[in-house]
Amino acid sequence: MNSIYQAAIDHPVSVPIEHRFDPYVDNGGTLLSIAGEDFCVVAADTRQSEGYSINSRYVPKSVKLSDKTVISMGGCYADCLTLTKRIQQSMEWYHHAHGKTMSTAAVAQMLSIMLYQKRFFPFYSWCILGGLDEEGKGAVYTYDPVGSYERESCRCAGSASSLIQPFLDNQIMFKNQETLKKNLPLDHVLRITKDSFTSATERDIYTGDYLEIFVITKNGVEIQKMDLKKD
Amino acid sequence: MEYNGGAVVAMVGKNCVAIACDKRLGVQAMTISTEFKKTFQVTPKTYIGLPGLATDVQTLAEKFRFKVNMYKLKEEREIEPRTLAHLVSSTLYERRWGPWFVEPVVAGLDKENRPFICSTDLIGCINFAKDFVVSGTTSNQLYGMCESLWEPDLEPEDLFETISQALMNAVDRDCLSGWGAEVTIITPDKIITRTLKSRQD
Repeated sequence: MNSIYQAAIDHPVSVPIEHRFDPYVDNGGTLLSIAGEDFCVVAADTRQSEGYSINSRYVPKSVKLSDKTVISMGGCYADCLTLTKRIQQSMEWYHHAHGKTMSTAAVAQMLSIMLYQKRFFPFYSWCILGGLDEEGKGAVYTYDPVGSYERESCRCAGSASSLIQPFLDNQIMFKNQETLKKNLPLDHVLRITKDSFTSATERDIYTGDYLEIFVITKNGVEIQKMDLKKD
Repeated sequence: MEYNGGAVVAMVGKNCVAIACDKRLGVQAMTISTEFKKTFQVTPKTYIGLPGLATDVQTLAEKFRFKVNMYKLKEEREIEPRTLAHLVSSTLYERRWGPWFVEPVVAGLDKENRPFICSTDLIGCINFAKDFVVSGTTSNQLYGMCESLWEPDLEPEDLFETISQALMNAVDRDCLSGWGAEVTIITPDKIITRTLKSRQD
């Protein structure tokens, strides 16, 4: 039997059927970045999920763009991958044209422009750019999916951002505390980062597996990897 | 549940429990009161926290006061926290198909002064936790704060600091909660309630 006739027999009344393609997928995960006096820490978990399934336990969300800049992106992994590629290509063009590596602030502005260029079909990516500025101080730039950006001293993004951000406010910015504000040393910041992720892993299903921490100092970029709970 | 806003958290310490709530009452974006507390004392050693739709908060606070008073008259003893938790659960499940829009938290000491906390969802499923429970519009932020700040066997003074920091920093990241906080520490000999001044926005 011809299938189209079969369809008409099965459904004698014809109704308009809308076929849609939803272009966005949320691959989950959490990222954070903290700017120190002369260092910057960019950390992200490595779990990639889709709904209740885990696609992979190790898909890094952070990419080293240069010795001074690391970008981390959460959201739709396809969009994050393409965006990263475009940034790296633009940085290479810049290097050939100007004979030097793009500074963190320059990458920051360029990323904002790139994101806004797709204002009406956005990259579903929550970006955090971490690095050292021209004075060697730590810098963190945070973005929304269409390019609104701001330099901050600490920020987290992704599925567990609402869990971790208040903790960072309390421990890095000393909010609601009478403690004298002071510059935090690297080991203290790393401990806070690891604690944030272990806490987030407990309560957020999309966060876990492994944690990759990029530490940017004047000596370059060092990568640390640690285990998180895999359940 | 996100019409009036609110946050409640309870934690277990060493021979003590703490319960805390914010004081905001709003109608979506507009704040209309900064003295709307969401914790209520039901017995000399038990408190109940009721975040959610404000009208249901008030109604259920009165319903539980009535039920607990009747329990005391009939049983000639105070209600235990664990029993109160089940009472809350049944009261909510009675309205399974038209629920009360609250997610209560129970905190108290039983007759042997052992700490007890639990929370329920809006239709009465009890979550018996050993460490902390959170509820309200700020629950995600509170989960993050409590998971990092809590440790077992905190003394009453330390528990007060921990729960206060957890609540204050969490509500600062939620526009529907805040405008001050009230923290209650329940110990075998006394109950101390303190009001915190936080960011007034």
